[in-house]
Amino acid sequence: MPPKYHIHTSRTANRFQLITKSGIIAWDEGCLKCVRCVKKDCVYKVYEKRGIDTRQMLESLDSVCMDCFRCVQGCPNKLIHKGLNPSYKELGDHYWTPEIISGLWYQAEAGRIPVSGGGYGGNFSGPGFDAMWTDMSEIVRPTRDGIHGREYISTTVDIGRKVMALEFDQTGALETTPPPVVEIPQPILFDLLPWSPPRKGINLAMLEGARSLGTFAVIRQSEFIPAMEEYLPNIVLYVDGSLSDIDPDILRRLRLIEIPYGKGVIASQKVLKERHPGLVTIIRMELNPYSSSNVLRLTAEGAEVIHLVADEYGLEKSGKPLFIKERVRKIHLHLVDKGVRDQITLIAGGGIAMAEHVAKLIICGADALSVDIPLLVAMECRVCRRCREGISCPVELETIDHVWGASRIRNLMAGWHNQLLEILGAMGIREVRRLRGEMGRAMFFENLEKEIFAALGKRG
Amino acid sequence: MDQRGTGFTRAILFCRQLDPNQDVNRRAIEREMGGSIRFFPLPCSGRVDPLYLMRALESGADKVYLITCPEGACRYREGNLRAKKRVAYTQGLIEEIGFARERLELIVPSAEKRVTIDELTRDILAREAAIGTSPVKGK
Repeated sequence: MPPKYHIHTSRTANRFQLITKSGIIAWDEGCLKCVRCVKKDCVYKVYEKRGIDTRQMLESLDSVCMDCFRCVQGCPNKLIHKGLNPSYKELGDHYWTPEIISGLWYQAEAGRIPVSGGGYGGNFSGPGFDAMWTDMSEIVRPTRDGIHGREYISTTVDIGRKVMALEFDQTGALETTPPPVVEIPQPILFDLLPWSPPRKGINLAMLEGARSLGTFAVIRQSEFIPAMEEYLPNIVLYVDGSLSDIDPDILRRLRLIEIPYGKGVIASQKVLKERHPGLVTIIRMELNPYSSSNVLRLTAEGAEVIHLVADEYGLEKSGKPLFIKERVRKIHLHLVDKGVRDQITLIAGGGIAMAEHVAKLIICGADALSVDIPLLVAMECRVCRRCREGISCPVELETIDHVWGASRIRNLMAGWHNQLLEILGAMGIREVRRLRGEMGRAMFFENLEKEIFAALGKRG
Repeated sequence: MDQRGTGFTRAILFCRQLDPNQDVNRRAIEREMGGSIRFFPLPCSGRVDPLYLMRALESGADKVYLITCPEGACRYREGNLRAKKRVAYTQGLIEEIGFARERLELIVPSAEKRVTIDELTRDILAREAAIGTSPVKGK
């Protein structure tokens, strides 16, 4: 058995103070000067370690405080208050919620799964991925070896076109030439970022992270710089210019390349294949209501991999947009119906914000996923989108050290990988390839609603 | 961000109860002014410590403003009153070390009309700063 895929993590400190859910407001006026001040009794030494970050005018109090409320309750003159931090509520937006962002920060810093404790109080359904539950029936049968011990669960996926049958000549020699396939140890690639401050350091951090994880990062041809040459085996070069502009030496060292969907896309794939037969070509396609028929046509024409991209909220481009999980389900089932699903690799991305989304989208039919904004959040992005408006980044993302950024990305991916293992283990599935399209092992809110309530309104 | 650089720089610390939509409202000014203006929203202006104000001046702000919520509107009852005392105290401190007390200014908006952070900032910008660059920056 091959060695287990394991991501080595190391605690990587934040550069800026965290925006915490609650904050301390402690007033000095009215202090009774007690012999033993409650601030001195803080078990976490919050008040002793007190410091101020002048870049943000934030005190260390909030990020060090562990919410035990001992000082709040103990001060005889009630001079210490603890309140919800309004800055926390303002993080992100309706989709990239403060809870998601702070969860990603925690994982990027510690490399561990966030544990909230105290059970889950709801909601039990919501929009998007929250309207889907996975079947965790095998969670009652934990193996003695454990999923992080000797039990082997594979998260490896193949990127490329597959042959459905091998053909041999009369002498028994193989006649079929299998198309090139690239194997990645976890079903996640790093995608183009929808927005960011100047991203030289960010791109290098993503590449360094991708290399250490054995996966790939998509880099625009126009943003490719000589410093990236050492990462070529882990780059998916996105062709945003002309095919003829790609240096033959660079092309030869690439394993994956991405071209935008449009007229003549299969002809472009052919040109690339002639120049480098070992290259796997990905076709990047915006998710829209016509995606099912377009994917089917491209599959018939010989496409190898299709990368379906939704917007940053996971919505397709349409007047009445479907969420990514719904559209990917439709595409997957359409291909299954036509008997061609296994020929092609589907990568889906856009709106992937949490580890559970990885498993859920794979269940809906994606082979692998592309991730974008969480990588920025790993590097402390607050999803304020100021950079998109040309305003300076509050956490100075343009100045990051790529080694630090890569370590944060690696930590986040380790957290996600461990959660994927937990889900697979709880579902009793031993490899992620078998999870693909396993819709029978999941429940969808709209289906349940229909099953339960549709019959109630019928007459007779 | 270190505010040492060219041009007159302002640090605006403000109580965020003042303008619930402050994050969006201040973006236009941030875009126009770039690094010469920095906003620091506070959960309550009463949280400000003399150290905050001194540090803002130390890090190179030519002028520091503290905007509280209107009198009587503090959600912690007397946070803005405490802020007023602290500004006065800090003004005394900076005067002792040779800074003009005008480098620190308290702004208390009127309770009668609700104002947004960008309106308040534009008022500040329309006024003459009447004070040169900070001695912290050197000559």
